[in-house]
Amino acid sequence: MTETMIELENISKTYCRGESARVEALKAVSFRIAPGEFVAVRGASGSGKSTLLNILGCLDQPTSGSYHLGGEDVANYGDKELSRIRNAKIGFIFQSFNLLPRTTALENVEIPMVYRDGKVDRGKALCALERVGLAARAHHFVTELSGGEQQRVAIARSLINNPAIVLADEPTGNLDLEAGRDVMRLLEGLHEEGRTILLVTHDDAIAASACREICLRDGEMVSDRSVGSRSLTLLKGDAM
Amino acid sequence: MNGAKIVSQALRSTRRYALRTLLMILGIVIGIASLTVLSSIGEATKRETMQRFKNMLGTFDTIMVRPGGGRSRGMPTLVNVPPTLRFEDADAVARELPEIKAVAEMQTAFDTDVKWRDHAASPVVIGVTPNWLQLRSDEVQDGAFFSRDQNIALARVAVIGTDVRAALFPDDDPLDKTLRIAGVPFQVIGLLKSRGAGPGGGSLDNLILIPVNTAARRLFNRDYLTMLIAQVKDPEQSNEATTKVVALLRERHHIRTPALDDFTVTNPAATMAQVTRAGSTLTKILTGVAAMALLIGGIVVMSLMSIGVSERWKEIGVRRSVGATRGEIVAQFMLEAVLVALMGGIAGALIGWGGMQLVTRLQKLPPVLVWQPFAAAILLSATIGLVFGIYPAWKASKLDPVQALRS
Repeated sequence: MTETMIELENISKTYCRGESARVEALKAVSFRIAPGEFVAVRGASGSGKSTLLNILGCLDQPTSGSYHLGGEDVANYGDKELSRIRNAKIGFIFQSFNLLPRTTALENVEIPMVYRDGKVDRGKALCALERVGLAARAHHFVTELSGGEQQRVAIARSLINNPAIVLADEPTGNLDLEAGRDVMRLLEGLHEEGRTILLVTHDDAIAASACREICLRDGEMVSDRSVGSRSLTLLKGDAM
Repeated sequence: MNGAKIVSQALRSTRRYALRTLLMILGIVIGIASLTVLSSIGEATKRETMQRFKNMLGTFDTIMVRPGGGRSRGMPTLVNVPPTLRFEDADAVARELPEIKAVAEMQTAFDTDVKWRDHAASPVVIGVTPNWLQLRSDEVQDGAFFSRDQNIALARVAVIGTDVRAALFPDDDPLDKTLRIAGVPFQVIGLLKSRGAGPGGGSLDNLILIPVNTAARRLFNRDYLTMLIAQVKDPEQSNEATTKVVALLRERHHIRTPALDDFTVTNPAATMAQVTRAGSTLTKILTGVAAMALLIGGIVVMSLMSIGVSERWKEIGVRRSVGATRGEIVAQFMLEAVLVALMGGIAGALIGWGGMQLVTRLQKLPPVLVWQPFAAAILLSATIGLVFGIYPAWKASKLDPVQALRS
């Protein structure tokens, strides 16, 4: 594959906690991801998965190394450029949904449109909710929705600016099996549209949705391999 | 930056956290309301005082000289002033000082009996020079004022104020009638336009003006003045002109340096400044108290906004993750503070306006529509929001989005 969506070279991230305590969350991680890949990032907790995802999502900056996103060298970007990239190119899905409380589903989906050019397009937000099957609940407050519904609102929000990359951090971690399967189906749909998906997970069944699996241990990449077909994944998921 | 959209987000937040918003508004309302009430009452009182001074003096470009070294109290009349200020003094001031445009001579007598047929009144009778109208910016409503020739000829003519007209001629046209001042007949040739109330609140229309020479020779038999009024050419130079008048009169009265003046000079512009200053001292203290209340309101806004920021870490993280820049986070939280403070400011100004109406009615001040304190209050509240919103907004923008999302 000649095209590259994401290219990491020797990315390291070190947190300083106090004077002597230095935590190396990532150690010289390098890989490339082509447009349209579905990659699972796996590893025990504390292995650096979330740190990696935050750096990929331009929420965090690496301590060293270079990061090219769609050809742009973002490692040295400032707040404004990073914010623009987060807004236009990246959709986040979190384990804990991260919807605004005391706010309707529709308003949550509209938020990314606040921070881009043009006006807030309510119709577009409704379309996004319809796509995740929640058009009927658009005007409900998020606290009135089930966990699965909340995560679907979050997916609609991540899609609203039509991002090329979707970053999902254990998106099914707080959901029951049924709701988790709905969420994975939506993610697979996004992949089929040609979006690049990165999915952090502990769960073998969930990871099996991906075509490629990157494993981290103590901040180091220990494996990077292609994995089996999706149909198998769904069967496995169903069996659980 | 996406200004309008961020304003709308800020507005939604004020609605979402309605109780907190209400508390912040309350904090601002109290300060703004008391500030508007006090400053508009101060302003109304000041305007009222100025208006009454203007009613009495007509113009502010005059210097008043009264006989006596400042010991006499009350209005100078022929019975309570020393006979030291002469007609010649007035002539000299007019002749020798280039700063002076015109000089009016006055002889004043209170409680003089005035009669027409069976009607009686006790107005102030003032002998004045014919230039009175210009110096006092008085106006004749009916008829005419007396001329220079009539003054020289000791003509027995009178121009009456509206109160005198009401007392003596309730049903008749006063012009050409002959009334008697202390038994001496005078022909009414003019009616003055009403001047309203003076600084003490009394009427300024209960008076009769007659030529000063007639007054001196035919009525009072006195050759000294109760007051002379000098009009300055340049009102900006009235202090310098005052100094010159004092010097000239001291010289004419042969007063040497250690001795005090045997006359009193009043510069109305200066006097009025003093009166309005003194009148506003209390207002200033009260305004200071109100300003303290407003400051506390600002601190309420700051602390509630700060608490809000700590409670809304996650929201900040979410907004950052979907593309809000630091600047946009600052803008949103600042706008929230400013909007809340503005709401408080407008509510406070309205309450203040109500309070102001109440006070003017109770104090019987004339209803003066003073809009400046209200405009200032609204502007001030926005500033308060801005100043006290900076710190919480800055705190919000400094938040690391990764940590904010983890919270």
